[in-house]
Amino acid sequence: MKTGYEFFKGLWDENPIFRLLLGMCPTLAVTNAAMNGLSMGLATTFVLLGSNIMVAALKNVIPDKVRIPSYIIIIATFVTIADLGLAAFFPDIYKVLGLFIPLIVVNCIILARAEAFASKNTIGTSLLDALGMGFGFTWALTLLGSIREIMGMGSIFGMQIFGEGFVSWIIFILPPGAFLTLGLLLGLFNAMLNKKKTQCG
Amino acid sequence: MKNPIARLIIVLALISIGSGLFLALTYTYTIPHIEANAARDQEIAILETLPGAVDYQELEQTDIPIYVGLDGGGGIVGFSYVIEGGGFQGIIRMMVGVNPHEEKITGVKVLSHSETPGLGARITETEFLDQFAQKSINDDFEVKEDVDGVTGATVSSKSVSAILKQSLPQALEQYRMSGGGK
Repeated sequence: MKTGYEFFKGLWDENPIFRLLLGMCPTLAVTNAAMNGLSMGLATTFVLLGSNIMVAALKNVIPDKVRIPSYIIIIATFVTIADLGLAAFFPDIYKVLGLFIPLIVVNCIILARAEAFASKNTIGTSLLDALGMGFGFTWALTLLGSIREIMGMGSIFGMQIFGEGFVSWIIFILPPGAFLTLGLLLGLFNAMLNKKKTQCG
Repeated sequence: MKNPIARLIIVLALISIGSGLFLALTYTYTIPHIEANAARDQEIAILETLPGAVDYQELEQTDIPIYVGLDGGGGIVGFSYVIEGGGFQGIIRMMVGVNPHEEKITGVKVLSHSETPGLGARITETEFLDQFAQKSINDDFEVKEDVDGVTGATVSSKSVSAILKQSLPQALEQYRMSGGGK
C-alpha cells in the first residue's frame, strides 16, 4: 500500500507541476507543442530516474557537507547522457529541444527529489518515486503542450484536427500562452479540489 | 577514515571521476551517430537545393562552405553554399543552391533558425522558400513585390531576402575564384 503510493503520489497528489509548482522553467518554455512536452517530460523522467537511484545508492557514502555538489554532479552527468543520447538517436526532437535539455540540470524537481526523498529512502522506493514524479511531470507537460498546440496551430502531435476555416490563436504558442494555459489549468484544478473538500466536509 | 575533510575530498573526487568515466563512455558511443546525423542532414540539404545532383564535393579554400553538386555522369549541376545572417530573434542559417551558368537560384533550405514558432518559423516551409527557386541571382527579392512574405512574419521574410541578396554575388565570386567548374 505504502509502496504503491510512492509511485502514484507523483501522478496527482504531489504532481510536480499542478500541485508542487516545481520545474516551471521547462514547463513554460517547451510546451508549445504536444510532442515537445512529451519529449521533455520523458527526458526529465530519465534524468530523475538516474539521479534518484544513484543518490539512494550512495546516500550512506556521501558526507552531509558535500551532498549538494555531489547531487549536482550526478544530475549533470545524467543530463549530459540524455543530451548526447537524444542528439545521436532522436535528431529531430533534439533540433527542437536541444536548447532546453541542458536546463534539466537546474530543474528544481530533480534536486528536490534527491534531497527530500532519495537521500532518505531505499533504491527501490526512490525508483518508484522517480517514475511517479517523472510521469506526473510528463503528463502535465503533454497536457499543456496539447492545449497550446490545439489553440495555437489547430493540430495535435502535428496532425491537423480542424478544417481550413480554423483561425489559430498564435498567442497560445508564444510565451504568454504558456502563462495563460498554466494559470487557467491551475485555477481549474484548484476549483475542482475545493469543491471536493466542501462536499466532504 | 578519521579525517572528515579528507573524506569530503575523497568522496567528491570519486564521484567526479566516476561521472567523467561514465560520460567518456557515453560520448565515445554516441559521437559516431551524432556525426553521421550531421553529415546526412548536410547531404540532404545540398542535394535538395540542387535538383539533379546525386553527389557533391566540398570546395577548398573558400571563406564560406561551398559544395559542388554532381550529376550521375560526374557533370557539374551547380553549387550550394551555407550562409547565415540575422533574423527576427536570432541567426538564420541557410543552404542556397545556385546554377552558376544561368546565374539562377536552384533552391533554398533553412538549416537552423530561432524565429517565433508558428509565425517566423514558417520561413522553413517550402511554400515560402520555393518562390526563390529559378529567380536570377541579381533579383532584388523584395518582399511583397518579388516574393510573398510569410503572413505575420515580415521581418523574418525580409531577413531571408536580405541574406540571399547580400550573399549571392559573394558566393558566386568565390565559386569562380576557387576554380569552380574546373
